[in-house]
Amino acid sequence: MLKVKNLFLKKGSFVLGKLSFAIEKNSYFVILGKTGSGKTMLLESLAGIQNIEGEIYCSDERMTLLPPEKRNFGFVYQDFVLFPNMNVRENITFSKKYKKIENKETLLKDLVDFLHIESILDRDVETLSGGEKQRVAIARAIFSRPRLLLLDEPLSAVDPTFRNAIMKSLKDIAKRYDTTIIHVTHNFREASYLADKIAVMLDGRILQIGKSNDVLNNPSTLEVAKFLGFKNIFDNSLLGFNQPGKYFSIDPNKILFSYDNIDKEYCFKCKIDRVMGITDHYKVFAKVQNKTFFAKVPKNMFNKLKLEEGKECFLYIDKKDIVFM
Amino acid sequence: MRDRGFILIFVFLSSIIVLFLMVPLLKLFASVGLFDIVKTLQERDVYESIFLTLKVALYGVIFVCITGIPLAYLIARYEFWGKSLLESMLDIPVMVPHTAAGIALLVAFENGYMGQIFKYFHIDFIDTATGIMSAMVFLSAPFLINGAKEGFKKVDVKYERVARTLGASRMSTFFSIVLPNSKNDIINGALMMWSRALGEFGAVVIIAYHPMVAPVLIYDRFNNFGLKYSAPVAASMIFVSMIIFLTVRYINNKKGSHIRTGELATFE
Repeated sequence: MLKVKNLFLKKGSFVLGKLSFAIEKNSYFVILGKTGSGKTMLLESLAGIQNIEGEIYCSDERMTLLPPEKRNFGFVYQDFVLFPNMNVRENITFSKKYKKIENKETLLKDLVDFLHIESILDRDVETLSGGEKQRVAIARAIFSRPRLLLLDEPLSAVDPTFRNAIMKSLKDIAKRYDTTIIHVTHNFREASYLADKIAVMLDGRILQIGKSNDVLNNPSTLEVAKFLGFKNIFDNSLLGFNQPGKYFSIDPNKILFSYDNIDKEYCFKCKIDRVMGITDHYKVFAKVQNKTFFAKVPKNMFNKLKLEEGKECFLYIDKKDIVFM
Repeated sequence: MRDRGFILIFVFLSSIIVLFLMVPLLKLFASVGLFDIVKTLQERDVYESIFLTLKVALYGVIFVCITGIPLAYLIARYEFWGKSLLESMLDIPVMVPHTAAGIALLVAFENGYMGQIFKYFHIDFIDTATGIMSAMVFLSAPFLINGAKEGFKKVDVKYERVARTLGASRMSTFFSIVLPNSKNDIINGALMMWSRALGEFGAVVIIAYHPMVAPVLIYDRFNNFGLKYSAPVAASMIFVSMIIFLTVRYINNKKGSHIRTGELATFE
């Protein structure tokens, strides 16, 4: 449905690109990245707000040189950007003056019911809460019947108590209103709940792109793994491989300790460096060949092993739990 | 009262400037009296002169609305070569002596190639309403342009971007989003320009002694007949302009601004 080829943009010292990716119709695509990684700039480039190099196609139609008003892409900014000179109803139906929208009244009623905004329709936008503004901004974008809906951190200014309800609504939008969604966020939880596909973006580059589960559980590079919060990232040589520049990671919950040398593929002699007691588990830092492993040990296991700082023991990991990158 | 000392000092200092600005006006009204103001306003010379002043100043404001608002938008929204220089040059008319501005206008528009072009189109500046308007515009346009510029800067560019993704063209976005959300600053700028233009004397008197605008009439009466005959005209002019000024500002403020500029404290 959407194809982006070698998208490139330079703004001051920041460079975006060259980015290439494709998105299927009616899918939910999440771009996950830190603040300042160029996510909003990418959305603005797709919307035609920024002048770019490269090509953008939507349903095989070339979009690259079209102005924003000709692209039919909806945009919801992080701070919602509701027009202050109009009330809620006027904001939502703004596009009807400029676009031919079929069954306007039915669509408005459906949106109002779907997003639960009937009671605020005639209110001034300045009196709305963050969650209400967010729903109005989404309704306004959908009312214009966009082929592609671009959401820029739409949940970051919403009260956490309403976030789950809004996330559920967002997930339903693509199919209900026959659109495709690109959602930008730095929140892994949002990404994992909403996305069919995820792209990880750092410093203006897309580092990994794929199905939600694949990306979140199997980072392909060291940078992605660090960004996704993977712990215990070490050089593959520790496992006996001779692959310079290749790394592996192991979940702190999957690390086991023993005083006996168990016959496992990856069993290392270690020295307990530091122990920190947390409510239901212990954080144990163990040194293996000058590398520090971090493990989460359940309380009952910890008490059974009687791990103490300075003690020597064996640390072992199962091959199936290792994430290679 | 928590900040009593601070508030008292500021109120005291503020009252000095308020008195300085208000006393001459109040004294003028008190010495002339409402009866004489109404009587003066019925004199043909006076009402024609005041009407001419109001009318030409309004034409000037309309001219700058059409040409200066686009300029203000370009300055507010774009970075371009020579922008700082352009902004400084726009403020120069406010600084130059007004009689010098009148001379400059005559040199520019009555002589040389430009003078010939204007003459070809039968546009004269000396002793005409056009000349008066050019003097008024030259010296007061910066008030409207700067007001509009500040108004545009307050409107987040993202409003325009969203409006365009919703199908509005650049022009439609300007009229449906940018102008309504900056109208308070533009109206205030227009009022400032208009009121500044009403009082323009130095440049006008160089270009067009006749037809007489109100400030020239006041000067003329003062010169020929003294304070007694010029004061009622001055009071009448101030009275009429104040009524118009306060009415427009009241309507504008009543409609309210959509852009919030911050919460105001109350005296505790």
